[in-house]
Amino acid sequence: MRRGSIVQLIAIGVVIGACATVVALLIPWLPPDASEERDGIDLVFWFTTAISIAIFSLVGAVIIYSVLKFRARPDDDSDGAPIHGHTGLEIVWTTVPAILVTAISVISGVVLVENDHAASNALNVNVTARQFAWTFSYPKQGNLTSAVLRLPVGRSVVLHLQALDVIHSFWVPEFGQKEDAVPGQNTSLVITPTKIGTYPVICTELCGLGHALMRTSAIVMQPADFEAWARQEQQALKGPPGNAGKAVFTSNGCASCHTLKAAGATGKVGPDLDKLPDYAKQAGKPLADFVKESIVDPNAYVQPGFPKSVMPPFSTLPADQLDALVQFLVQSSQGG
Amino acid sequence: METVLEHGPQAQATSRPPRTGWRHYLLDAGWIRAGWMMCLFWAIGFGIVVVFRWWAGWEPLLKWQPITVVATLTAAPLGFLAGIGAFDYWARYAIGAPTRPEDHSTHGGRNWKDYFRPNTDHKVIGVQYVVTTIVFFVIGGLMAMIFRAELARPGMQFVDNQTFNGLVSVHAALMIFLFVIPAFAGLGNFVIPLMIGAPDMAFPRLNALSYWLLPIAGTMMVLSFVVPGGAFAAGWTGYAPLSVTQPLGTVFFNMGVQWAGASSILTALNFLVTIITMRAPGMTFWRMPLLVWANFTTSLLVVIATPFIAGSQFFVMFDRVMHTNFFDAANGGYVLGYQHIFWFYSHPAVYIMMLPGFGIASEVISTMARKPVFGYRLMALSLLAILFLGFSVWAHHMFVAGVAPWLRIPMMVTSMIIAVPTGIKVFSWLATMWEGRIRFSTPMLFALGFVSMFVIGGLSGIYLASVPIDIHVSDTYFVVAHIHYVLFGGSLFTIFAGIYYWFPKMTGRMYNEKLGKLHFWLTFIGFNVTFFPMHWLGTQGMPRRVSDYAPRFADWNMVISIASFFLGASTIIFLYNMITSWVRGPIAEANPWHGRTLEWQVSSPPPYFNFDEIPQVVGHPYEYGVPGAQHAVFNGDRTGVLEEAHH
Repeated sequence: MRRGSIVQLIAIGVVIGACATVVALLIPWLPPDASEERDGIDLVFWFTTAISIAIFSLVGAVIIYSVLKFRARPDDDSDGAPIHGHTGLEIVWTTVPAILVTAISVISGVVLVENDHAASNALNVNVTARQFAWTFSYPKQGNLTSAVLRLPVGRSVVLHLQALDVIHSFWVPEFGQKEDAVPGQNTSLVITPTKIGTYPVICTELCGLGHALMRTSAIVMQPADFEAWARQEQQALKGPPGNAGKAVFTSNGCASCHTLKAAGATGKVGPDLDKLPDYAKQAGKPLADFVKESIVDPNAYVQPGFPKSVMPPFSTLPADQLDALVQFLVQSSQGG
Repeated sequence: METVLEHGPQAQATSRPPRTGWRHYLLDAGWIRAGWMMCLFWAIGFGIVVVFRWWAGWEPLLKWQPITVVATLTAAPLGFLAGIGAFDYWARYAIGAPTRPEDHSTHGGRNWKDYFRPNTDHKVIGVQYVVTTIVFFVIGGLMAMIFRAELARPGMQFVDNQTFNGLVSVHAALMIFLFVIPAFAGLGNFVIPLMIGAPDMAFPRLNALSYWLLPIAGTMMVLSFVVPGGAFAAGWTGYAPLSVTQPLGTVFFNMGVQWAGASSILTALNFLVTIITMRAPGMTFWRMPLLVWANFTTSLLVVIATPFIAGSQFFVMFDRVMHTNFFDAANGGYVLGYQHIFWFYSHPAVYIMMLPGFGIASEVISTMARKPVFGYRLMALSLLAILFLGFSVWAHHMFVAGVAPWLRIPMMVTSMIIAVPTGIKVFSWLATMWEGRIRFSTPMLFALGFVSMFVIGGLSGIYLASVPIDIHVSDTYFVVAHIHYVLFGGSLFTIFAGIYYWFPKMTGRMYNEKLGKLHFWLTFIGFNVTFFPMHWLGTQGMPRRVSDYAPRFADWNMVISIASFFLGASTIIFLYNMITSWVRGPIAEANPWHGRTLEWQVSSPPPYFNFDEIPQVVGHPYEYGVPGAQHAVFNGDRTGVLEEAHH
């Protein structure tokens, strides 16, 4: 190889590398970083990206150089040089990639071990996934439940995931952490939020018709605000039935599928709960009985136009919470 | 054109006189018999279920899921196969009727009708495979057009959630099981016996049967759209327990996979026996073209891995139909078991869908660059390395699935190591082009497009192998981008390269080069604009398999949808070129690319039994530029042959 061609090859490689670097830097590849775990993930991401740009530039340079320099003229039907191989080169392109992937593996392994480690004062949250809603409960905060994940900033959290029906997967892109909730199995996930804000919680495992809508929010707040919220919620559950029913409605994630003005819910997967009296008439049952039955055994009567077996039975609700919920639904759907 | 073997006089003597009149139409193998036998077998299947349920006292008597599985998805297809004549020889043998071992009356494509019935000629079967798979490719592609229209804007516009999930699932299942895997099997079917100097595959009747299983599987998957409840909609991965609780359409996937899988396994066995036992004299393993090596390795993968997906789908079907509890956690089932079994097939399946493409790329690049394949032996050995490593990486699909934590780092390391043999192949293709005299015909463009796109797919694979990054991007559009760079940029580009490369050999006519190049450039541009932005959609937070998404992803989704329609339209050029060239393209020469492998040493299309005389292989297949080198000689004429020393 002449020196001139090496220079040209390198020049093409540098141009491709520069273009790829521009793409890497200009596109906002990763969402804002809001957890300690994301720091490690981002590190591995950019380390791998640097290596990838180098390899892509090399391959691209050789292809473009070959296209430009080794193109046969239309009247040329000669053969190329009969080169069968080169042991030295083959050793190089076996060992160099092996070293690079080993380096990525080592960094990945270190970050993984770090990210799986929870601090000793970690906050425990039980996450229950069902079609198509999340419920978060806080065992140390009087077992209060919430449809929105609220977390204190700067404290490590261990999420204990459970699924009631099919597989779901918990993901907050800003936290970078993800884990499936698997029926019959306990899985867990460590997150240490570092920035106050509201982030999307997304189900990433296809879980049925409402999969695309199985979303909620994670709100990261000051530790003092978090404590205040926890106290307030615990009191609401003990308060008058109207409030308690609304709290049960919210904490069980009904809003992700149903519309109900009184609760500010706008879900479109299931029937509109503001029309409950009409539905009860069509089903031919008294309103309160109908509502209760539809919560405990949703398939007993399915409003025409909605698929069967989509709503999971909420037969495990404690009796007082169920009564509060029924009362709340009856009152608010009758415009009171 | 002379065939070597004709019907022997004995064969004529033992067969009974042919049927005439209506008896001929009704009772001889063909589409009419296939039609009524399909109905008859369906009725028998229906009867079995109903009688069994009546005898056991089960209510209701007419339960449609077991009836669908037994009558529609098992008995009726068997009736179709029996009617079309796929079992005739064996059936006659089994009942003691005279068989005709020398009967080649169903061998060879003499007119278009020969392509619509079981035919034992590997070249006819190869064409049947390729044409059928392109039909399913078009159907699967149209499904993608529909859901890209839905995804162009956030919110729901054209389809409901059930239809959307069905479209996504059937699109993937068709592309994988009815296009990429069998398209490679079809190209291999046509080319492999020619390349190794064999008159046909080892088991021609089995070969015919394995083709006819394929339209059954494909029809089943497409038909699932018309059953109550809609098509199977748990994704092509069909994860339990969701797939257990889905509507009836799911069993069409469960059983469709069995038929497609049986077809794969039979073909792979046929390839293995053919390659091991039917190579021409002198064709040692180290003289085999790399496509033969690639199909050999792929076939090993198929026979070892495919039974696992069959098992996983049977488990799901048993849970649905027979109320077993393999995946019902409440009754002691093991939910993750499905994923372990499924991915133990479906990761090797990635290589089943890629290794034949590697082989095609090696053939095309070497021939078009007029250079020997660089590092031939390492190229073959790296295929074997991928075969072995491919079985040790399945859990990298399950890093966030709740697998045992200790499993993650070992599986990450093995996944990373696969980059090494894959890298060897990429660098060797580049070195093969170096100092070549490259002809940029359509197959070469697709081969180069493959190398460059596959590098991107390989590099994004490293991200997915790294556990911390995978935890962030798994089940997002990053994965969608990755699989399409591997399966579209990788497999599909090499399938196109192979189809253009062997088109003159298969049809005896030349395709239109200008349209071929136009097809390449439109595909290449449309492909990149469609799939590259999916990388950052995924890393930014868009999950896969959603019909609706956050408004902030709207702009890029619109770009992607428009590009995907452009990409879909580019296929029309391909189809137009193939059809018109096949009908009235210029007559092709025997060896338009001046290739050195054996398939180019016979006429286009080849004689019915490939070689009028058995070739003697005397050297390597890629000795471009070596003075006096020969791959094979005919007529036993070894004068002037330079016996080459082993390198």
